[in-house]
Amino acid sequence: MSEVKDSRKVTIKAWRFNAETDYLPYTKEYTMEVGKDELILDLMNRIKWEHDGSFSYRRSCRHGICGACAIKVNGKSVLACKQNAIELLDLFDNDITLEPSSKKRAIKDMIIDKSDFWEKHAAVKPYIVADIDPTPETETKQSIAQFNALLDADLCIQCGACHYACPALEVNDAFLGPAALAAAYRFTADTRDEAKEERLQITFESGSGVWDCVKCFECAEACPKEVNPIEKIGKLHNMQFEYGVAESNVATRHAEGFLRGMKKTGYLDEADIVTYSEGLLGTFKHMGTAMKMMKSGKIHWHSGIPFINSIPKIKNLDEVQKLIEISQTNKL
Amino acid sequence: MSINPDIKIYEYDAVIVGSGLAGLAAAKELTEAGKKTAIITKLHPLRSHSGAAQGGINAALGEEDSTELHEFDTVKGSDYLADQDCVELMCTKAPETIRWAERMGATFSRNEEGNIAIRPFGGQSKPRACYAKDRTGLAVLQAIYEQAFRAGIEVFDEWYAGDLIYEDGKASGVVAYNIRNSEPAIFNAKVTMFATGGHARAYRFNSNAHANTGDSLSIVARHGLPLEDMEFVQFHPSGLGGSGVLISEAARGEGGRLYNSEGERFMSKYAPNAMELASRDVVSRAIMQEVREGRGVGKDGQSVNIDLTHLDPEIILTRLPELRELAIAFQGQDMLKEPIHISATAHYSMGGIPTNINCEVRKSPTEMTEGFYAAGECACVSVHGANRLGANSVLEALLFGRHAGQNMVKKLDEGIELRKAKPSDADTMLAEIEKIKTSNGNETVPGLREELQTGMTADASVFRTKESLERQIALIDDLLVRFNNIRIDDKSDTFNTELQEAIELGHMLEFSKFIVVGALNREESRGGHYREDFPTRNDEKFLKHTYAYMDKEFNISLEWGDVVLGKFEPKERTY
Repeated sequence: MSEVKDSRKVTIKAWRFNAETDYLPYTKEYTMEVGKDELILDLMNRIKWEHDGSFSYRRSCRHGICGACAIKVNGKSVLACKQNAIELLDLFDNDITLEPSSKKRAIKDMIIDKSDFWEKHAAVKPYIVADIDPTPETETKQSIAQFNALLDADLCIQCGACHYACPALEVNDAFLGPAALAAAYRFTADTRDEAKEERLQITFESGSGVWDCVKCFECAEACPKEVNPIEKIGKLHNMQFEYGVAESNVATRHAEGFLRGMKKTGYLDEADIVTYSEGLLGTFKHMGTAMKMMKSGKIHWHSGIPFINSIPKIKNLDEVQKLIEISQTNKL
Repeated sequence: MSINPDIKIYEYDAVIVGSGLAGLAAAKELTEAGKKTAIITKLHPLRSHSGAAQGGINAALGEEDSTELHEFDTVKGSDYLADQDCVELMCTKAPETIRWAERMGATFSRNEEGNIAIRPFGGQSKPRACYAKDRTGLAVLQAIYEQAFRAGIEVFDEWYAGDLIYEDGKASGVVAYNIRNSEPAIFNAKVTMFATGGHARAYRFNSNAHANTGDSLSIVARHGLPLEDMEFVQFHPSGLGGSGVLISEAARGEGGRLYNSEGERFMSKYAPNAMELASRDVVSRAIMQEVREGRGVGKDGQSVNIDLTHLDPEIILTRLPELRELAIAFQGQDMLKEPIHISATAHYSMGGIPTNINCEVRKSPTEMTEGFYAAGECACVSVHGANRLGANSVLEALLFGRHAGQNMVKKLDEGIELRKAKPSDADTMLAEIEKIKTSNGNETVPGLREELQTGMTADASVFRTKESLERQIALIDDLLVRFNNIRIDDKSDTFNTELQEAIELGHMLEFSKFIVVGALNREESRGGHYREDFPTRNDEKFLKHTYAYMDKEFNISLEWGDVVLGKFEPKERTY
């Protein structure tokens, strides 16, 4: 690391917009001396308190626990009250723009309409379902292992950073998104909850559920609390099989198809996975891709034809098969 | 004629302002009992500052512990100013309340037997703080919100409550506006509750959220109602040196040690038995004394060191992960490897809106209002007296919030009537907004606020004298005049957060005066209130609650109220 100076003079840009009065957003610049311990929230406060009182943003706790101040800086999701400013200035060569977490939902400056976030949160039954004794004489027993199985999903502060960083959600309005799915996991994984199957059903729905996650890991990257939503989405996949909620459809067969190939040869069988998950008829629509894959040697002309072993077998295949056998929770 | 004759008037059985633990617990009781209830909050419920509580929530669950010990520690901690009937109620119901929170889904850490884990905290004779790692408040807030949401509570989030409708000793709702579009409305109700939390934002060096501006205190005071024991502000021993952001008492509970610049473990001089786990007021004074005598560390020698490096790293990583992250994020110090700079930070208000044991608001030490309730940090019931024990605040908010809800249900079942609101009830709030928006002077809100906060931290903080307090009163009087001469940039109706900050500053100036005037009149030292010119406790004259009233010119007058004593006789307090 280069030498750390106590402060530096920079020009901060802020995305400005007021839905009440502005037709288009615009950018304004504010020049200030930024200290080494200052956070992005400090910069926002200084814009408001020293430059322009109309600059608006949400904030409350100022130590990363209330989730109000999630914004983006140069497109990167941050929780303003926990993000050191100099660190970002270094990352972006002293050129940073403060932006709302979702421009299309902006109401005023950094403040966005989060109703879609809350609607999706509400859709996963985000609470323990049980008859709750109002005057209990004992607590529920929960072992340390059972407590740990929540995998810190309960640390989610509903800041929306992952939700507005998720590219699947960007193109699919129906998708529940990483935050709601992490919440679904938090309650389903809790020993006290009695609505596991119902919630697994909700998160199984095609279009909105876990199968529409594209597994890009943006949510894990965006989360300021290291909740790691993608990990929870993966867990939900497994739980849907464990609880027998998963039904045979393109998505589940696609997942199974991976395993099927691995079991047979130890390799991923690109052709087999398509025919298995979409059927021979469904395979037709992928012919274009198949030709390209053939050209680059990823599949062969005889791939996918029954009784021809187009894929070689790996060494120690029996060990792979053994592993699959002991870890498998559902029948192909 | 009213300012806005067409203002929307909603009618409810109950209206609650504030959506932290106390507000949500009350709303859940009311909603489940079939009462039409509205919660009004300037945030979203899950952003409430209850969620910032870190270290624990007290209940005598340990095998060697007892409710009576919890009561004794609480009363001793309060420097005998707490009302012992309320303390008894709280400590007796604590185990049931914690287990209820657990049943609702609170993610408490567990011990080997699978029961709720407990840890030691300051001022307590046994380990008693039930915890969820170092995010106990968040775990409990989430649980109560989740179950309240499940029960179907109705929340008006990002609405700002600007006034109470109060006449002839009876409250009948509040006036509020939608922060999103400035649209005002009257929430007319049979019973009204304030659960708006704390007000340590009045201090420059504080642990509180930006939202903790004590709005409801001055709203109550503007109606001629008293505030109780406002001079008792708790300074938490471990605020991060630069920002005041909290490092939980759990850091000391798990074994953290305090050192001055000479490497001396100085608590041995101030509390030889309890050491770092003495009561908060004792530890805070010790820290500030070391700093004053030139044995501080860090910037300008204003901090001391808390050292956790002798602990098993596993303890820090599994029980204090958030604290470690905060110290890294805010001052680049990793507690696994090095000591952390901390200093006493304004943290909690023991005083507030006076209530009886049923959370009904008092009109005077002996008279009650009707249909008006308060609970949580904004209220003074009083279970904390002159100094709150660590891990009793989350307990108080949840337990008395629920208790208030149950009492409101009872009151509604008894048939309390709705006094119909009229459009002119909104006039005070509407005029206040108009005045701020059109005021065209040369003072700024951040400027005045900073003067207030700097003065409070300098002159009405851990150490107080007649001179310092008189200086602060003069400053506040000056600021109250200059507040008429402000100007705000933002004239828009959409999320006008600058307007909101101006309204909040008005509240802060007013209730701060209660803190300082109360402190000036209490010529003794008790709990969190320490007068260098009167360094000892004086039970003969001051074993009394302060009741303070404000007139239209911001003059404050005082009277005394009795303390409810009980099985614990006032004794000398040492740790």
